[in-house]
Amino acid sequence: MTILIIIPAYNEAENIAKVIESLSDFSYEVQYIVINDCSTDMTENVLRDINANYITLPINLGIGGGVQTGYIYAKENGFDIAIQIDGDGQHDVKYLPDMIKPILEKEADMTIGSRFINNEGFQSSAMRRCGINFLSWLIKICCGIQIKDVTSGFRAVNRRMIEIYAREYAQDYPEPEAIVTATYYNAEIKEVPVEMEDRQGGRSSISSLKAMYYMIKVSLAIIFKRCFDRRKSK
Amino acid sequence: MNLTLRISLILAVILYFICLFILLERKRLILKYALLWLASGIGMIVCIIFPNVVAWISKLFGIVDYFNGLFSVLFFFVIIIMMSLTSIVSKYKEQNRILIQQYGLLEERIRKLENEIDR
Repeated sequence: MTILIIIPAYNEAENIAKVIESLSDFSYEVQYIVINDCSTDMTENVLRDINANYITLPINLGIGGGVQTGYIYAKENGFDIAIQIDGDGQHDVKYLPDMIKPILEKEADMTIGSRFINNEGFQSSAMRRCGINFLSWLIKICCGIQIKDVTSGFRAVNRRMIEIYAREYAQDYPEPEAIVTATYYNAEIKEVPVEMEDRQGGRSSISSLKAMYYMIKVSLAIIFKRCFDRRKSK
Repeated sequence: MNLTLRISLILAVILYFICLFILLERKRLILKYALLWLASGIGMIVCIIFPNVVAWISKLFGIVDYFNGLFSVLFFFVIIIMMSLTSIVSKYKEQNRILIQQYGLLEERIRKLENEIDR
């Protein structure tokens, strides 16, 4: 069983080395790939200095294109499981065994690390939680599946989902849409309780100014997908 | 439509076609993407030579003034061309994404191979 950890990174020079170092605490044998999404800071230098395994994109694609590059890499190199964690140190690798257990036991095709099951750790601001609840409700209406933490970027998928995501992955603000894509391929999705930390440094990719655009774009994407896409057979 | 206006509009459309053909001749415009422009030009000529066409369209859509009908027809051509441009840009953005991803993956493979050779 080969496991790949996909770490998308944009201007994460402060955090990326710590994130890679933390992977050594993980008991499974894993490989990782950092997707340096054309960072403008010293991220690439840091990666080169620590001799990390990384891909540098020549043009900034955004989180969707970056993560999808990781899935293409996983597909081309025959990995059985891919786990995506953020490059900013928000996601604690101690939860990785919990994340992959349902996949190894074939109970799920995809697991999502969720802050809102035990409601512990960093919970995000009230406004953001409100937005997340709305998107969660929208996905429940459109796809008939209850996912609490729809914006969590802490995810693990099996080989089947790796192949789907290598082919089809939303580009900007992809997390909620990726759940919809998974349900359209009849994937079994399971949420795993995790605690997340606040960002260790750098800046989040979603500023308050972009929040409105985010909500409108993601909501429309979910509704359009519901209207235009047909469910695929298993 | 009086004769002076018709002559000036015909001259404007001729200028439009000259610009179009120059761009095509210099290969600054691919014929595939110029088809909509050509079709719009022909549509404009038809509207100028046979003003009754515009009058008929105006009546069909309940537009009282003839010139409002003419502007609506022209605006329709512009909207269609803009939509096709957005569609072309979207397609290129998608193709560009694939190229960027493949470039990144290939660069990583080359770097790994170079490191292995160096060792």
